[in-house]
Amino acid sequence: MATTERRWIGKDIPRLEDPKLLAGRATYTDDVKLPGMLHTAVLRSPHPHARIARIDTSRARALPGVFAVATGEDAKEMTNPLPAFCAEPVVQYCLAVDKVRFVGEAVAAVAAVDRYTAEDAVALIDVEYEPLPVITDPFEAMKPGAIKLHDPLPSNLAFEKTLSFGDVAADFAGADRVIRRKLRWHRASAQPLETAGAVCRYDPITQKMDVWSNTNMINYVGWLIANTIKVPAAKLNIYPMYVGGSFGSKHVLGKIIGIASMLAKRSGRPVKFMEDRVDNLIASENLACDRFYDAELAVAKDGVFKSIRVKVVDDYGAYFQFGHGTHGNALAQVTGPYRMGSFEYTVQCVLTNKCQQGVFRGAGSDAGNFCLERLVDAAAQELGIDRVEIRRRNFIAPDRFPFKTPCGNVYDSGNYPAVLDRALEMSGFAELKRMQAEARAQGRYVGIGLATAHQRSVYGPTEFWFWYDSPGLTTAPESVGLSLGPTGEFVVTMFSPFWGNSPETVVAQTVGEEFGIDPSQVTVTYEDSQHALPGAGPGGSRMTVMLTGAVAGAARKLKDKLSRIAAHQFEAAPEDIVFADGGAMVKGSPDKSMSYGDLGLKAYWYKLDLPPGMESGLEARHTYDHPYLTKPSADRKDLGAFYPMMAHGAHVPVVEVEPATGRVRFLRYVAVHDVGTIVNPKSLRGQITGGITQGIGMALYEQSAYDADGQPLTASFMDYLLPTAQEVPRFEIGHVETPSPFTEYGVKGGGEGGRMIAPAAIASAVEDALAPFGVRVDEVPLTPERIVKLVEAARR
Amino acid sequence: MKPPRFDYLAPRTLDEALAHLHHHGDQAKILAGGQSLIPMLNFRLAHPGVVVDVNRLTDLAYVRQHDGGVAVGALTRQHAVERSELVRARVPVVAEACRFIGHAPIRHRGTFGGNLAHADPASELPAVMVALEAEMAVASRAGSRAIPAGQFFIGPLTTALQPGEMLTEIRIPAAPPRSGGAFVEMARRAGDFALVGVAALVTLDEAGQCARARIALCGVGPTPVRARAAEDALVGQAPTTAVLDEAADRAAAATSPPSDVHGSAEFRRKLARHFARQALAAAIQRSGGR
Amino acid sequence: MPTTIPIGLNVNGIRHELNVEPRWLLVDVIREQIGLTGTHIGCEHGVCGTCTVLVNGETARSCLMLAATADGAEITTVEGLSTGETLHPLQAAFREAQGLQCGFCTPGMLMVAHELLRENRSPSEQEIRESISANLCRCTGYQGIVDAVGLAASSQASAPAAR
Repeated sequence: MATTERRWIGKDIPRLEDPKLLAGRATYTDDVKLPGMLHTAVLRSPHPHARIARIDTSRARALPGVFAVATGEDAKEMTNPLPAFCAEPVVQYCLAVDKVRFVGEAVAAVAAVDRYTAEDAVALIDVEYEPLPVITDPFEAMKPGAIKLHDPLPSNLAFEKTLSFGDVAADFAGADRVIRRKLRWHRASAQPLETAGAVCRYDPITQKMDVWSNTNMINYVGWLIANTIKVPAAKLNIYPMYVGGSFGSKHVLGKIIGIASMLAKRSGRPVKFMEDRVDNLIASENLACDRFYDAELAVAKDGVFKSIRVKVVDDYGAYFQFGHGTHGNALAQVTGPYRMGSFEYTVQCVLTNKCQQGVFRGAGSDAGNFCLERLVDAAAQELGIDRVEIRRRNFIAPDRFPFKTPCGNVYDSGNYPAVLDRALEMSGFAELKRMQAEARAQGRYVGIGLATAHQRSVYGPTEFWFWYDSPGLTTAPESVGLSLGPTGEFVVTMFSPFWGNSPETVVAQTVGEEFGIDPSQVTVTYEDSQHALPGAGPGGSRMTVMLTGAVAGAARKLKDKLSRIAAHQFEAAPEDIVFADGGAMVKGSPDKSMSYGDLGLKAYWYKLDLPPGMESGLEARHTYDHPYLTKPSADRKDLGAFYPMMAHGAHVPVVEVEPATGRVRFLRYVAVHDVGTIVNPKSLRGQITGGITQGIGMALYEQSAYDADGQPLTASFMDYLLPTAQEVPRFEIGHVETPSPFTEYGVKGGGEGGRMIAPAAIASAVEDALAPFGVRVDEVPLTPERIVKLVEAARR
Repeated sequence: MKPPRFDYLAPRTLDEALAHLHHHGDQAKILAGGQSLIPMLNFRLAHPGVVVDVNRLTDLAYVRQHDGGVAVGALTRQHAVERSELVRARVPVVAEACRFIGHAPIRHRGTFGGNLAHADPASELPAVMVALEAEMAVASRAGSRAIPAGQFFIGPLTTALQPGEMLTEIRIPAAPPRSGGAFVEMARRAGDFALVGVAALVTLDEAGQCARARIALCGVGPTPVRARAAEDALVGQAPTTAVLDEAADRAAAATSPPSDVHGSAEFRRKLARHFARQALAAAIQRSGGR
Repeated sequence: MPTTIPIGLNVNGIRHELNVEPRWLLVDVIREQIGLTGTHIGCEHGVCGTCTVLVNGETARSCLMLAATADGAEITTVEGLSTGETLHPLQAAFREAQGLQCGFCTPGMLMVAHELLRENRSPSEQEIRESISANLCRCTGYQGIVDAVGLAASSQASAPAAR
């Protein structure tokens, strides 16, 4: 538990973001309207793999109301390939060039007076395709001689590597038993309710491109986007927007910005491109992991885990834009909360004729947790040890932190037994077992699930490249501006977008804490990229840590100046100035105080009252870099600290399964999370309940499915199933707080944990429910038919 | 996802509507609630030359007594049917089935007649009409005719309506005394299209034996499946476990379900068996039997 | 020029005379021609509910309605809930219980919740969930929304005047 008494950090304050969101007055990307703005529709490939023989856009161009049409040939001329996070370039343009490689790939785009007309025009574009053989099975795609998706690459195996840490061979040789499981984690999709989009306005005289977009990483990879759209980086200006959810799917949006920018240049008018829902479902830049695990856990007969070997084949779809980052971050916690001394991780990234992967909340660690926790449950079963007990036996003890894992990543702090205890207590575990026994006697199949798993937070960018030998970027910052105006009002300026997390509230609470004012008095504003400081933006559960750090840093700078002003005023020492109760005062002398209004006015208008040499004004800008990032060793035997803010959680879902129909009903869901110091409890709880709901989606409802011919089967919301309020229970959320020693206030990130842990826990619950049949759960999502088939197979 | 261009007519009377339909023939598409047609327009799966918007024909929205049963105007909103005291009293299984149609905002606009004329194989109401042996009143400029529900649905999204014809009223007979009806369904999520739905209506005689049975399923064939062999297994029998099991087996055997991402044909057939059994048990219980 | 037809829409108490193409969806006319962007577009096939408005007092998906069909109707959007600086009590309850995160589903949710509380003054949790299951939310996991509606119901119960 937190030992520091704080005034605002840790309190439930109403969110600053909410009033305008509730009134329907926030500006999302589709709300942007510029004079003369055109609207875009995109022609997409109906073929999973084909050469583009001929495109005739003449009929589309002739349609009244159409101002510009672009094809891949135009993309080759007007843009550069999209930025990619991997070393081997898998060239991709924003419109397909020469070939289409998945159903839904953008082939042509039209800008017209309205979206209706743009779609009319798209229907008038004639494309002649020469279909090519289709590859959808990653194991087939890997084989030498398989039809290649990309001619320049040696094969569809875009990347393959084994990383090994500690003495894996010895640990396996010395094990009493090796638990082996093959597991399947299907492709899902983030599907925020707001689709991705951009409005681009180009001025050919100044070469300035203004972009309003729900994209992210504006002040991180903005210059790469500029290169993609062939605009000088200093002339690209991106406005951070209110974003209707992202969950990782809106990180770069190079294709969308590429298309809109091309049409803006060509038409001479601002152009808006908003994906529609079908676009987002079949051609999003960010589908999620599609994995085949073959994993082994080496154990001693007393249940102690010695080592783990993970082999994973990941079906990346047709492009490799985000690379194997979803494996990099998973390396942060391959061994989870357990004490193993070694591990080996082999990844094979394969290209197939499907829409590409990107990242979706959890970003690979969700699947990694599923793999590990399935093995742990399996170990418990095979060794005949209680699954709660086996976890306790292997937990890293609370006094062992900071803990260095076999690969070099560090866990900053944690108390896994306390989290588990709290979950067991909240769920009334013993009583649950009794209830389950009674239910079984009545012929009902009730299951109690358990997962104790990690939720790494605040990514370090080394995870994008430590799979390779050559080094890469080592910066992942976040910045804010903080000013105190002549009326005593604080303004925080942010440079990264709002995703539905609570960045404005977090910075306001931090300012409140630092300066002793009510957070509701803080004004938060956003600035465009031409005036911004570096920032990677939300994602990877980093924002709360990074913003509190950035604000604290700016606050220190501002307080330094304020204390010198106040000290000068009262002829005191700057070290004796404290900040509380709406102003600054000399410690111990309440009569010697100045309100923030006084200080502000003084700083802006009374230069001659300031200490000699001091500039007027009161503004501080601060770039907060990753608080604990170290380089990997050259031989990659030590990957350094790249995700050391390690949060953790224990989930206990209780389900009832109907074997005849495969229906799963939640009776209860208990989740205890330890994300270090909590900044805003309600906001965190919302992240957890939302994350678990996405985890329920992954476990039971969501799959971006393709048939064997590469046709998408889930191209509408009638087929890609997001949980509604009737599919999810009331969640019982508990907290433990082990502060991080490396961050401001000891905060860790908690945005992804729900989705990173729930699928493993729910798989555990369904398996437990069907234990009387001897069912093993190795696959998610557990659709009703899959459950019925599992029961039938077990019965045979 | 925006509709393609079409000509638009908004008649104010039924005669006007029928004149338009006669004039435009198979180029015309009737727009009532729009909950089925407009998604198809937005996906550009439908390209009607002329949309005839019948929402101003408010005279076609009613629920009335008819011959002991009810007559529902085609333009009656599903929500109104669900809430109708008359429907709940005389043909309660209809109100029960309405609650499975999407969600309330959809039922506020969706019409009873529109749902039936759309004839989605997974829709609840067609199966219920078949089980209740309802009669569809159809009008055209040439006159009117009545089509029994069992002959109205002829294929996926295809009914016996000819170009120029419009469904105007649905007449649902009341069930005899000692009858009970039930509608059950399984969908992936609340409000989704049925994987399988079953409408069952049984009537018992004084001895507690089954005098009459009607069973129709949705989601398991190109049209509602009337499970006559299942009905035969019940008639003249006491509704024992074995008899209900046999009826449920026969109901499943009568299906030819589709395979899609939500379930294979084989899986749907299993569900058909399970829910037919469940619907029959509920119908029997509601008829006063055990 | 494409053919347009004249329609009249009463939106949040203000009458608008418009010329619309028959194929224009009500949600687009609300957002573009009338300029009220609080009603959102999420799927355009009637599943997500972010476009939900009140049409003649009943919730309806404005992406599944032609503006032409709505001729003469009274439409209420989220902008019609709050007046000036004051949030509607339901909006205040959403704020208190944190029934929103990104805010994109929120206008639609508010309309559905508003209708529920008008028809059912003290809904159970199950009734609330059934009602809001008409609308998807990808952020909250629904718990904050359920709590918000419950809070609004109990505030409504203790308030003297009906809303």
